Amino acid sequence: MTRRLLERLGQALLVLWAAFTIAFVLLQLMPGDAVLIKFVGGDLGLSPEAVAEIRAFYGADAPAWRRYLDALAGVVTGDFGYSIASGVPVAEEIRTNLPATLWLAGLAFALAVGLALLVAFLATLGPFAWLRGAFQALPGLMVSIPVFWLGVLLIQIFSFKLGWVSVIAPGPWERLVLPVIAISIPIAAPLAQILIRNLDAVSTAPFVHVARAKGASRRWVMLRHVLRNALLPALTIAGVLFGELLAGAVVTETVFGLNGIGRLAEQAVRAQDAAVLQAVVLIAAFGFVAINLIVDLLYPLFDPRLRRGGRAPA
Amino acid sequence: MTLNLTRRIFAAASLSAALLASTALLAETPKQGGILVYLEQQPHTVLYPPAGGFYPNGGILNQITDKLTYQNPETLEIEPWIAESWEVNEDATQYAFKLRPGVTFSDGSPLDAAAVVANFDAFGLGDQARNFPVSEVVNNYERGEVLDPLTVRFHFKAPSPGFLQGTSVIGSGLVSLATLGRNYAELGDARLIIGSGPFLVKSQTTGSEVVLSVREDYAWGPKLHPHQGRAPLDGIRYVITPEDGVRIGALLSGQADFVRQIQAYDEKQVTDRGYALYAPSTRGVNNSVVFRPDNPLVADIRVRQALLHATDAKEIVETLFSANYPVATSIIAANAQGYVDLSDKLTYDPELADKLLTEAGWIVGASGLREKDGAVLEFTAYESPPQPQNRATLQLVAQQWGRLGVKLNVLAGDSGSRTQDNLDPEKTPVSPAMVGRADPDVIKSQYHPTNRNVLLQLGGVAEKVKSFRDDRLNGLLEAVAAETDPAKRLALTAEVQNYVIDQAYAIPIFEEPQVFGGAPYLKGVGFEAVGRPSFYGAWLDR
Repeated sequence: MTRRLLERLGQALLVLWAAFTIAFVLLQLMPGDAVLIKFVGGDLGLSPEAVAEIRAFYGADAPAWRRYLDALAGVVTGDFGYSIASGVPVAEEIRTNLPATLWLAGLAFALAVGLALLVAFLATLGPFAWLRGAFQALPGLMVSIPVFWLGVLLIQIFSFKLGWVSVIAPGPWERLVLPVIAISIPIAAPLAQILIRNLDAVSTAPFVHVARAKGASRRWVMLRHVLRNALLPALTIAGVLFGELLAGAVVTETVFGLNGIGRLAEQAVRAQDAAVLQAVVLIAAFGFVAINLIVDLLYPLFDPRLRRGGRAPA
Repeated sequence: MTLNLTRRIFAAASLSAALLASTALLAETPKQGGILVYLEQQPHTVLYPPAGGFYPNGGILNQITDKLTYQNPETLEIEPWIAESWEVNEDATQYAFKLRPGVTFSDGSPLDAAAVVANFDAFGLGDQARNFPVSEVVNNYERGEVLDPLTVRFHFKAPSPGFLQGTSVIGSGLVSLATLGRNYAELGDARLIIGSGPFLVKSQTTGSEVVLSVREDYAWGPKLHPHQGRAPLDGIRYVITPEDGVRIGALLSGQADFVRQIQAYDEKQVTDRGYALYAPSTRGVNNSVVFRPDNPLVADIRVRQALLHATDAKEIVETLFSANYPVATSIIAANAQGYVDLSDKLTYDPELADKLLTEAGWIVGASGLREKDGAVLEFTAYESPPQPQNRATLQLVAQQWGRLGVKLNVLAGDSGSRTQDNLDPEKTPVSPAMVGRADPDVIKSQYHPTNRNVLLQLGGVAEKVKSFRDDRLNGLLEAVAAETDPAKRLALTAEVQNYVIDQAYAIPIFEEPQVFGGAPYLKGVGFEAVGRPSFYGAWLDR
């Protein structure tokens, strides 16, 4: 078990290093850099000498390999450097923005799971064939709603028209209500879709007929036998959806004017703020690695066949 | 032309109406208290005062720092503020200022002669160890001298007539020695900017919010300012709201009191609901399209002149903008210092344009575009996102040029490509440009190769330039910056404007305002000479 864990850890580090390196190379390939954008493209009217001095200060005049090693050494020692665009330490930017995004993503994910389960159940167990049909078609509609548009619509209706929530000076929970809804709907769609299909598929499996034949109620069979089996593929997708959550955060944080990693990333891309971008890429890669690890560890809980030395026959 | 005149009359009328309104408001007694919620489009960057030209920075710095002098936004006269009086020697190489006693920074340290000298030494000379760049508004600076605790004298290597006005701008905001002891890279943290202004920075959430609170003991506002003493507001909360629609919606639904950057097409929405629209002029170089004559396509003056006459600025303003955006009649705004009316030289005349292009050898070919020796008359320009509706403006210019068989491609591009290509005359033979400052030096800021170098001359930050350099223009610009006789200085400014248009280096389009929206209960908002808000006298009537 320890060996397996060490292996996974080694893999994780490799993934993080690869993400960091690829991000660095891609940033090199982009024309211009943060110093150029800010000090030459900005409203400063600096002389060429002054720009050269600034470049030297940030170490931006060193050859690429040197900057790569410096940045890597910085990350290893926990020093992420200064954001050129905003003039504050990158570590502080991360500290102020990460918790906000974690709350947003966490709550959005929880709501998405709830929504997906609700839609899937209504689509399979709901009364009337037409209602079930409607709910089966719903995920297709939900996934095609652009987060940006939904965000603006929610603000217009619930904040500007009805005045239920404030978007400008909201309380700590108030600020999360609309963005969480906006992100969760497109995330819930693929989850619901897969659940519906699996519930359908599993329902026709022989063991379900056996259970029904033994006299179990439809609902009981659903919850005890079918759902458990149908959850696995959904869990796999849930791991992949983390990326969607981050992408959703970039859009919603900008629309709602929230601080967070998504907005930070958007601003850093605009300014080609390499130090910030590297940190954001690392965090995102870390998130992916961690979520996938958790998903891997969760499989055996749902499916005894995956437990090491599991006894259940396949 | 008639319309232009009507628009001017209208502008003058609305200005006087605004003045009357503001005097009427001053008659009311301001109510004390309340936090003003200000929605800004972009987060601030480094708040070292000379970087205050960036509007989001200026909007904050203007409330937390004081300046030696105060430029009256209506008369443009320089009035006392932290400096009670001043003396300038004959050739403008020495300036002495007598400071107001009892002024302190918000960290309790005194704003005295030593602090003032430390500030201007940093602004005028830069500081390599701390990465402070030299301020754009302080020319020819040599050193500062403490004569006594409340008297300073500045020495200049060469005449620096623009310096007095330079002490009044946001870029010359005075900060404490603690702030000057920091490195430039750290100064994006607003809490580190210790000024002596009517407000101080209470907190900052980088990239999303800055909160200012009032200084209870503030007693040194500009001497002739209608408000004196503590500012009526308890504080100001800046919230970064990138979405245009959210800013306006928040204002109209009462969630915000003041918002920056309202596009011309949204103005009606704001005024229809009885909200106030503020459109102070930036009084600087007009929103223009400039040429980079280092590129052979636009090296021929006839080509540039043809494109100048092929551009219908009136159509652009009528299609895209509003009465707050007057059609340009020179390279600088009509209310800028030293302005001369050059509308006779800026006519829309497609026939003349056609004639000039044909003379220059550019003939319409089979593709419908003008060609000469196998080359096609086709340009590329990047839009400039901070300028109002810049993409639409350039696209309309492209349509107008297209009628004459000249192609203009308008690119959005990422900021890196845009900045890099804008330094290469081969890639961007034309480019949009503007800058605001209420002094004739503004033209030098814009055109001189060692400053913003919009024409991309040899000797500036642009390394790809091969040979283009206009010494006549640079000589004139340097003369404006060094001329001590105000009348001669204005005459030189007129000469520069004529020269730039005669050479067709720039096609001025409109005079750029800064457009803000305010709640009806918000009173007493002021604007400095180039349109950045001042909340010193502002109050909430609710």
